[in-house]
Amino acid sequence: MDTLARIKDLAAKELSLDPAKLDPNAPLADLGVDSLTFIEFMFKVEDEFGVKVSDEDLRNIKCMADLERHVATSLQAAGKA
Amino acid sequence: MRRVAVTGIGAVSALGNNLQEFHRSLGAARCGVRELPAEVTMGSGVKVGALIDWNPAAHFKGPEASILDRVTQFALTAAGEAIASSSLDPASKDRNRIGVYWGTGMGGANTLDASYAAVYGKNDWRMRPLSVVMGMNNAAGSNVALKWGLRGPFANFSTACSSSAMAIGEAMHVIRSGRADAVVAGGSEALFTPGMLTAWQALRTLAPADTADAAASCKPFDKRRGGLVLGEGAAALVLEEESHARARGAKILGFISGYGNSCDAVHMSKPDRDGQVRAMHEALAEAGLAPEAIGYINAHGTATIVGDVVECEAIQAVFGDAAARIPVSSTKSMHGHLLGGAGAIEMAAALMPFSDGVIPPTANLEQPDPACAVRHVPLKAERVEIPRAVMSNSFAFGGSNVVLIAERE
Repeated sequence: MDTLARIKDLAAKELSLDPAKLDPNAPLADLGVDSLTFIEFMFKVEDEFGVKVSDEDLRNIKCMADLERHVATSLQAAGKA
Repeated sequence: MRRVAVTGIGAVSALGNNLQEFHRSLGAARCGVRELPAEVTMGSGVKVGALIDWNPAAHFKGPEASILDRVTQFALTAAGEAIASSSLDPASKDRNRIGVYWGTGMGGANTLDASYAAVYGKNDWRMRPLSVVMGMNNAAGSNVALKWGLRGPFANFSTACSSSAMAIGEAMHVIRSGRADAVVAGGSEALFTPGMLTAWQALRTLAPADTADAAASCKPFDKRRGGLVLGEGAAALVLEEESHARARGAKILGFISGYGNSCDAVHMSKPDRDGQVRAMHEALAEAGLAPEAIGYINAHGTATIVGDVVECEAIQAVFGDAAARIPVSSTKSMHGHLLGGAGAIEMAAALMPFSDGVIPPTANLEQPDPACAVRHVPLKAERVEIPRAVMSNSFAFGGSNVVLIAERE
């Protein structure tokens, strides 16, 4: 499964967001995901992919597509993808 | 004197997730106590409890529930029902004058228990980022304020089993003092976690399971009683200054008119008759009522060996001859002990006779203990003439006693 599909699955499970309707480029706030909700979600993302997201990286993630790029880069750097 | 009306009620418990189901269950003497699943009890040894069959997706949209502890989900659901049933639209009022007074004993126990389980049990020191804001004791009440933008006075009470009764009493006072027009007052509890259950079991105060019928495990005032049965849930009242309520044509469900608050200062867990008597006298004095005016007492009645006897003695001491005819029941036999949420949900039960004259019973009371000599409502609800006033007792570990009196419209 590709990274975005896994993120969407996780968002469905943890945030009750419908994967079919989730626009990866939509601002997080438009999905009903505020800063606290997103910090909590990132904790699950770190578990799911075995990656670390720094505070600075976190500030630069504005939508699920940003998150996908960050995870993919981290996985490549770690030699996992 | 500014009078404080009840204009909305919401309730979430093992008897149903709204007030109508709650009252219907109480009227039918239906018990919400059941055998607990293995993943909840684990090694605690606790067998029964009034656990709610809870589906967050039925109450919250999208990601909303993902950062709310179970205790807060209950709180928001009960508060939502109370506000909706009151027809109060906070956005159309001065929200700086609408407050939240909440009560909970253990706060976000599920969040903290799970976080500590990871740390101590699995040596996994990466903790959920929101463990603090989900687990803190004021999270439930603060989320109620946040959701409806209620910017007036806020308070959170944590006095074990009297927490939410105190929240209602203090909310009544803050409205009377003129500092608020309305307050959403209540409490919630959600402590069915393996760690919490083990702590309660260790205290040797929980009832064993009734082997013939798990639902009948809680037996207040009965010779066979063996302790309390834990429950979970929430209840909320919309309390409103009378003229504020009348000006918007709100339906008035009753008035909170008396609040007694005392501390035994005798023992951490053993109740004291005199402390309870003082709280009842204080509530009657504030309401300006003679004991005979009370037409129903919702007892604290936890079904512990000592507690039930002491409370009945206290009622005898306060009500004298009238005690022989004032109906007394413990609805904990059905919804379990909601601890921090108990006072609020029991006020929701105590207000029941104001709508239809139905007095909720003490379920499972087949063999009344002669040492508990009050006028019981055993096994079945009774229909009476609508009483002028009702009383609800909440007596807590730590010796905190709260007594509330409500009067009909």
